[in-house]
Amino acid sequence: MSVPRATAAVSEQWVGGPFGDSRFKYFLIAPALFIMLSIALFPLINLLVVSFQGISIIAENKSFHGILNYQRLAGDSRMWKSLLHTVGLLLVALPIELIFGMAMALLFVDKMRGRQIFVALLVLPMVIAPIVAGATWRLMFDNQFGPINQIIGWFAGRDVTIVWLADSSFVWPAILATEVWHSTPFMFIILLAGLAGVDRSQIESAQIDGASAARIFFKIILPAIRPVLAVAILIRALDLFRIFDIIWALTRGGPGTVTETISTFTFVKAFEQFDTSFAAAVAITVVLILTAVTIYALRRIEIAR
Amino acid sequence: MTVAVRAAPGSSASLWQARRRSLKTIARYAAAVAITVIFLFPVFWIFMMAFKTPDEIFSRPPVWLPADFNLDTFKALVRDGDLGAIWTSLITAGVSTIFAMFFGTIAAYSLARFKTGGRNLAIGILSQRMIPPIVIVFPVFLAYVFLGWIDTFHGLIILYTAFNLPYVIWMMRGYIEDIPIELEHSALVDGWSRWQVLLRVVFPMARAGLFATTVFTFIFAWNDYIFALVLTRTEVVTFPVQVTSWFGQQFVFWARIGAMSMMGTLPIFFAVIVFQRYMVRGISLGAVKG
Amino acid sequence: MKFRLGLGSVVVTLLLSAAGPPALAQNAADTAVEAAKKFSGTTLNLLWQAGLQANDPLVFSGPLFEELTGVKINVVEVPLTEMFSKILIEHRARTGSFDVMPATPAWLPDLIEAGALEPLDDFVDQFGYREEFADIAPVYRVMGEYKGQIYAFQDDGDVLINYYRKDLFADESNKSEFKAKFGYDLAPPTTWEQFSQISQFFTEKFAPDLYGSARINAPGLVHYVFQERFRNDGGKFFDADAMKAQINDDVGVATLQAMIDEHRFMPPGVEAWGPIEVLSAWMAGDLAMMGWWPPPGRWSAGYGTEVEALAWLPKSTVAGKVGYALPPGGAPELAAGFVLGVSSSSKNKELAYLFIQWMNSKDISLQRTMLPFALRDPFRTSHFRSDEYKALWPAAPEYLETLEAAANAGLADLSIRSTAAYEDALTRAISAAFGGTGVKEALDTAAGEWDALTKQIGLETQKSSYLEWASKSNAYPR
Repeated sequence: MSVPRATAAVSEQWVGGPFGDSRFKYFLIAPALFIMLSIALFPLINLLVVSFQGISIIAENKSFHGILNYQRLAGDSRMWKSLLHTVGLLLVALPIELIFGMAMALLFVDKMRGRQIFVALLVLPMVIAPIVAGATWRLMFDNQFGPINQIIGWFAGRDVTIVWLADSSFVWPAILATEVWHSTPFMFIILLAGLAGVDRSQIESAQIDGASAARIFFKIILPAIRPVLAVAILIRALDLFRIFDIIWALTRGGPGTVTETISTFTFVKAFEQFDTSFAAAVAITVVLILTAVTIYALRRIEIAR
Repeated sequence: MTVAVRAAPGSSASLWQARRRSLKTIARYAAAVAITVIFLFPVFWIFMMAFKTPDEIFSRPPVWLPADFNLDTFKALVRDGDLGAIWTSLITAGVSTIFAMFFGTIAAYSLARFKTGGRNLAIGILSQRMIPPIVIVFPVFLAYVFLGWIDTFHGLIILYTAFNLPYVIWMMRGYIEDIPIELEHSALVDGWSRWQVLLRVVFPMARAGLFATTVFTFIFAWNDYIFALVLTRTEVVTFPVQVTSWFGQQFVFWARIGAMSMMGTLPIFFAVIVFQRYMVRGISLGAVKG
Repeated sequence: MKFRLGLGSVVVTLLLSAAGPPALAQNAADTAVEAAKKFSGTTLNLLWQAGLQANDPLVFSGPLFEELTGVKINVVEVPLTEMFSKILIEHRARTGSFDVMPATPAWLPDLIEAGALEPLDDFVDQFGYREEFADIAPVYRVMGEYKGQIYAFQDDGDVLINYYRKDLFADESNKSEFKAKFGYDLAPPTTWEQFSQISQFFTEKFAPDLYGSARINAPGLVHYVFQERFRNDGGKFFDADAMKAQINDDVGVATLQAMIDEHRFMPPGVEAWGPIEVLSAWMAGDLAMMGWWPPPGRWSAGYGTEVEALAWLPKSTVAGKVGYALPPGGAPELAAGFVLGVSSSSKNKELAYLFIQWMNSKDISLQRTMLPFALRDPFRTSHFRSDEYKALWPAAPEYLETLEAAANAGLADLSIRSTAAYEDALTRAISAAFGGTGVKEALDTAAGEWDALTKQIGLETQKSSYLEWASKSNAYPR
């Protein structure tokens, strides 16, 4: 933990010190803020305004409707269920992706012949257009035409006839497999880059002192990549929360609403059914919840630090 | 360490060590190959679509390798000009990535080192990534109609830049916080300007992170479907829009989808190979000190 | 390019018809072309379904119209699933970027009430289209009419018919075994019970080499099957007074239960099958029966399948063995289907109208429905009786006869306000029941959602739209 603590100390000294009240810091952040605000501010405000109106496929009613849409969503069990599914998937998929990604990053961080090729190949799942990825997995999960039942059959030693995507008890594992396949490369590359920055001399001296591999990992490596790790988890969590393409391509939220997530629900409402104001209210609610959770999570991380 | 082995070929201890080392290497390769095979299997399945006949795609039991590897589909892609969509996506995703990386990284530096705007600004920036894109497509569309940016390259480029900035800023803030601050401090004391410190100390130190972040900034822009679908018509057809047009309700042009996916992943694959040396090892603290 | 071959012959046909005696009354196609010539040099923007369908305006009708009138046709392709949204988004922003708009009948109440489509009656009179318009088969003709006005021309004869294998049905041992087992003659089923028994017979005898039947169960499409069977068995979607949903009544429950029970006699995994899986199994000779839209009737006979645009299609192993029949119950679903309309925010409404009149006219639409690769199906009485069409492959006369019978008895998809939301609720109920939820429970949920939707839309608003739809001859079996 020595490295981050030292960083904090110096940075305080720096901020308060001779370079503290610089206009440079605003100069650096201004262009990014300008671009983001000019593109994203109008849609955000529009979203907020629309969520208090009555725009739907039936009418473009722009009069003030108070919190009607919010009342409606509060009583919409389908929406809360979809939120629950999203959180559930996140809680399962995120640790798996993190552990796989970390294991792969540790495997590839040291020099080895052909590493460039391996790493470039392992990025490929993310480069396949999500709709193509989803449709391909759909084919692969097919009971008859797909290789997945076939491969499981080889190991099981008998014919396997699981109807992955139409059976409520198998559909989540199918989605989980697809999602882990598609997104683990993200964790892998981010963590690989993080590991590359770890100071080797510390590790080597610990090895000379006879420290175990586990001890080196938890006492030296993990603290050193901690900021990157935290951000990678945060970003991945937020993206998992918006998961859409894979589920849409595989199941469209079915069977029934078993695999509906907040994004597929919002898509159906906003894009297919033009329940515009209601969908806006859902989006605002989701953003508020996520912001609260994020602030809480970041506090916890900083306390733990 | 092969040196050690060569220095004392006769000693049994080093022989045992060498064997252990080579066993370890073999295990590493076995693990690397196994992981790669598992992760590439679906990619392989897509790529084979480019060559499979429709009967092979829907065959019981599944056919793994097509009987005939002909290039007809690729020729058709060239003839019909479909490959133009790859170029369009390379431009929109590429240019927006350059903008997002530059403006995002300097903003991240500001947040990491100066704590600009405190925690609230950082979270405010991140909140943009919490909105399902689908709900803001329509307001963005309205704004773009007003601006006359529908179906233009700059329209998509600016959009992707804006929507990737939160990711770049947060990611790079993490990587920059990983860099020990003493180097910048002493460079400033030595009389370097702030830009010099940024460009000659921070950027090189963070280059592993820069690379990793660039890869995904590019991929996020590359994979966008819903904005590209709504904000373009015929002039700017991106890769996902083109590919999606081959999924009909009653038919799927799997051959084209497979061939196009293959062509589309090639540039990214080679880019990752070429630029990866930046990630192999960031300059470690020890090296700079030495 | 093989595509172009078809084009040449059409141009010749047109030249021949133009060379006829000038004293005769002009047909609707010529009238449209003459009137459109003054717009020469203009560009018309078409929104069109991406993929195969787009070959029609891209390769055939677009270039031909440009040649005849000098009007350039610009096609913007959008996948069907995003098309409704794209139309409405563009309409709400009043961009005027599309002149000609295709739609499915189920979208029309929403699009028309939103003011997105231009009424066409005045144009129809002005350009003398009444007579040829009346040639569109009655069930299709009324699709584009809403509250007494024409808003769109039906442009596609989509209907789910029952395909069966003549060779298997005519096989003596099959016939005698079947009769021994079920006590009646093996023939295309006229009731769903027969359908189930025939499926059972073939599956038990031949599986896994051949199964009795398969069904399109994909989300977004499976509700068509339910709509058809529910209405054939006497179901009504709503009671017309209180607008209470009735899909969960005894008929609804029996329909859905029967659909699930039939899976036993279908290929394993059929619960997740879409149109392509069903079609592939059919073309490979793995099915004795299948319900599908009209195109496989042409493809499985091998007609036109050599064109490159159909390279994605599995090779037919069943050519010459394909029989066509109405589905059990006799009133087939006119599932989806396409109408052509004029965008109300178009800057070239007259030209846009002339283009769709030309597309939709007797002459040109016949050519278009004969294109092997554009998925447009016969929809006019004159198409069903065309000698040219009947000559395309040996069984084509039977095919057209079946399609005409289907057109006479067909049932329109439920088309009311916010249809998509109702379809979505129904689809989820069906897939939930496939996934293990109780049939009654699933349909009760859906009916509850339908009632909530109706309440939210406004009981009176929805009632008037439902009554408008239900008043048409193709809403319920006659």
